[in-house]
Amino acid sequence: MGKIIRFRLNGRPVSIYVENNELLLNVLREKLGVMSPKYGCGIGECGACTVLLDGEPVLSCLTLAVEVDGKDVVTAEGLAKDSELDVVQRAFIEEGAIQCGYCIPGFILVAKKLLEENPEPDEDFIREYIRGNLCRCTGYVNIVRAIKRAAEELKFHVGKNKQV
Amino acid sequence: MASSSLKQEGFRYIGKRTPRKDGVAKVSGQMRYTYDIYLPGMLYGRILKSPYPHAKIKNIDVSEAEKMGAVVITFKDVPKKKFNIRLVSADRVNYKDWEVLTDHPKYVGDYVAAVAAETEELAQKAVEAIKIEWEVFEPLLDPFESMKDGRPKIHNKILFGSKEITVKNNVACRLDYSEGDVEKAFKEADVVIERTFKTNRRYHMQLEPKVTVAKPEPDGGITVWTTTQTIHNTRILISQVFDIPMSKVNVKKLPIGGSFGSSIQTNLVTLVAVALALKAGRPVKIALSREEDMYEHSSYQMYFRLKVAARKDGTILAGELENTMDIGGHQIQAYPLLGCLLGWFVSLYKWKNIKYKGIAVYTNKVPACAFRGYGNPQITWAVESVIDELAEALGIDPIELRLKNYVGRGDLFWGQGPTVKSVVKSDGVPELLKKGAELIGWYNRPQPGEQKGRFRRGIGLGRGFHTSGAGGRISGEVIDFTGCILKINEDGSVDYITALQDHGGGSLDAHAKIIAEELGVPLEKINIIWADTQTTVYDVCTHASRGTYVGGEAARRAAREVKKKLLEYAVRLLGDVVNPEALNIKPDEELGQGVIYVEGMPDKKITVGEVAREAWQRNWGSVAAVVSYRATNSPPAYTVYFVEVEVDTETGRLRPVRVVAGADVGTVINPDLAAGQLHGGFAQGWGMAVLEDTPYDPETGELMCRGFITDYKIMTAQDLPKVDDFTVIFASTHEPTGPFGAKGLGEAALNPVAGAVANAIYNAIGVRLYELPITPEKILKALKERGLK
Repeated sequence: MGKIIRFRLNGRPVSIYVENNELLLNVLREKLGVMSPKYGCGIGECGACTVLLDGEPVLSCLTLAVEVDGKDVVTAEGLAKDSELDVVQRAFIEEGAIQCGYCIPGFILVAKKLLEENPEPDEDFIREYIRGNLCRCTGYVNIVRAIKRAAEELKFHVGKNKQV
Repeated sequence: MASSSLKQEGFRYIGKRTPRKDGVAKVSGQMRYTYDIYLPGMLYGRILKSPYPHAKIKNIDVSEAEKMGAVVITFKDVPKKKFNIRLVSADRVNYKDWEVLTDHPKYVGDYVAAVAAETEELAQKAVEAIKIEWEVFEPLLDPFESMKDGRPKIHNKILFGSKEITVKNNVACRLDYSEGDVEKAFKEADVVIERTFKTNRRYHMQLEPKVTVAKPEPDGGITVWTTTQTIHNTRILISQVFDIPMSKVNVKKLPIGGSFGSSIQTNLVTLVAVALALKAGRPVKIALSREEDMYEHSSYQMYFRLKVAARKDGTILAGELENTMDIGGHQIQAYPLLGCLLGWFVSLYKWKNIKYKGIAVYTNKVPACAFRGYGNPQITWAVESVIDELAEALGIDPIELRLKNYVGRGDLFWGQGPTVKSVVKSDGVPELLKKGAELIGWYNRPQPGEQKGRFRRGIGLGRGFHTSGAGGRISGEVIDFTGCILKINEDGSVDYITALQDHGGGSLDAHAKIIAEELGVPLEKINIIWADTQTTVYDVCTHASRGTYVGGEAARRAAREVKKKLLEYAVRLLGDVVNPEALNIKPDEELGQGVIYVEGMPDKKITVGEVAREAWQRNWGSVAAVVSYRATNSPPAYTVYFVEVEVDTETGRLRPVRVVAGADVGTVINPDLAAGQLHGGFAQGWGMAVLEDTPYDPETGELMCRGFITDYKIMTAQDLPKVDDFTVIFASTHEPTGPFGAKGLGEAALNPVAGAVANAIYNAIGVRLYELPITPEKILKALKERGLK
């Protein structure tokens, strides 16, 4: 039993038949070829499968595909604009925040929402916000730095735009 | 050439912050890991695992599973061979007790059968339809219990090299060693301290669970994508087990979502996927769930009895170590670990008189394998705790005592065990201890136990090292060499092809910088190829913190060979230059090319791209090199951790307040990534010290956490010190045997952490705990027992 769902995936309309019990993670990866949401635990403990659903970070391993019907889904593949990396993506590279990289798409999407919610986050805010995403390589130091740097750069750009 | 002259001039790429080459792919979600491999016509595999910690199959019925259309294999369908899933010991000293599938499972989760079907769901249903009649034995979950007479035999006959041997009292292997006379030294010493220690059994918790895709080829061969630290050893093992010529087994190198030692061996799932694919005649993917992965591998749990002695003046006189290791249901590298544990121990301090007794014991638990440091974090925790106690007993500052006795420059060093000896040539320990002490405020730290309030803070020091690879002057019992291919393309861009795996630490970025530096071409020109076993020469494995030191030197040598050829061709093209020695190469960032030039004659020049193009157009041939390289040293990368810990005496909770992490890695090649090793090393070490363990249910033999991360927690961003409270320092050393003076780092970044934490806890509350992890419950109990609350 299933149905055809229609939603926006990284800005493009998608329509696809899914079973009622199919998980968004599996549909993205196996039917739509979108691989950045990663399987790390399958039960919502690690955050590696995070996607943005109508702008909110959700765990795609706990989300039924039918739930995204009519909604907007963004993954790490969809952040670059005109093949320019997003400021958060750039900051992760510049701060050396990436090691194995498996958890990174999830962190970047959570960081996007974090900065939207609080453009001037202090470190406690950042650490609390990203606590649901696990990383075994970096000890989070350079990840926190990258989010701070992205906040600084966004502030700078906003300032510049105002002057213009 | 010139590592020394370049050192004087200053490096162009080495030590500079540069964006990692795989950064864009990783942040944009385009990096493809093994989990992301899907092939047309692929089947999904699932494995039937033993629900019992020790049992024998009396009867197995797979007919229902086969009726569902599944391809099924059991122990009856796989080669009747015993092997070791880790190929690092020379074959003559390799213990072999594994089978692809077994009728005699030795731990909950041991593989007994497997199926492949059109969907994962169908495969799971088919696995559940297999019927087994079991004979169940009493589980042995404690190594001391396991060794007693009359206990069930976990293994009976196993292989040692090609010889069959009988296992007695569940003892997997032993190693004893002695030097000098410890008993005499204990009698003559002013202070003798003897303690027992018990470590935890930790799970690697790499983010990507184990996964394999195996594709049968029309010529009878097989192509394999798998989570591994070593594509060549994986190929060799597949070839040996399934009798397929190596040339027909191709193992692909892919990025790995963390490993930390958990894929230092060929995970058994790889062989099962191969067996299924061969039977099905179609590609098969087996992706383990997190719960399954937790039943795949763990760290070695160790029990130590440690006795040390010193004279009043702080001269250490003797060290005696008894090491009992709980290795679980199979040997992966228990025997070489007995040697390494001795090596770590004797290379920490100059004990002068040494006695060592190592014993590895089978239990009905998840097989233990290397976990970042390979036993070094365990023994360093114990030794650094005892050294602190010794300092206190002698009334000597712990830094002074360490400086007086540690194994440093000019000393014999055999970190990787008795067959791998060399002399220390670079040593940043004094510098790191001095700087670290200043930064943390060492000389203002409190006296142990003097504080009274609810929150008590203490500062602790842990010092340690890890080797850079396992190279040495004689061949010994360990295989360690590497190789690479380097070629200049017809436009002057460079392909670097190596089997050496990068787990994310940045080894391959370091190699690219080494090549750019040696060759004199811009870093952007160096392309790191994701290769496979068919197109690379042998590399043993990315382990032993050898990626930069061993692999980097191979890369440097290849660059040197290629450069020689380029200069020869440039002499021909430039016409009147006398010989290649008259030429230099340097990168021109504007041109985006290496430029070959004559010193003092700016017009006498040609780019690497032009030389490559002319060599192609004039039919001179390719500019390329193949290098196979064995290191004759494995120098210590020293690390020093100063940690400030806060103890909440109401709840027993511990908080890491400040960290100063010091590392002597020789020349630092990637500063951001090197710091990242220390950040990550601390996080894992802190977890080892205070949180992580995998206890077993004594009745069922299952993991108490049942494979869930909620019950096997690791540190989150909230549990660790703030950015400004974590200071990283590097010693200003130069390792003469390393590429541009570099040494290893990955494991050294973890090894002394638990020791530093344990010493900080003692400094805060005046209590020493000898069992890891040091949980809030243990802290509260200890405070209560001693009336310190």
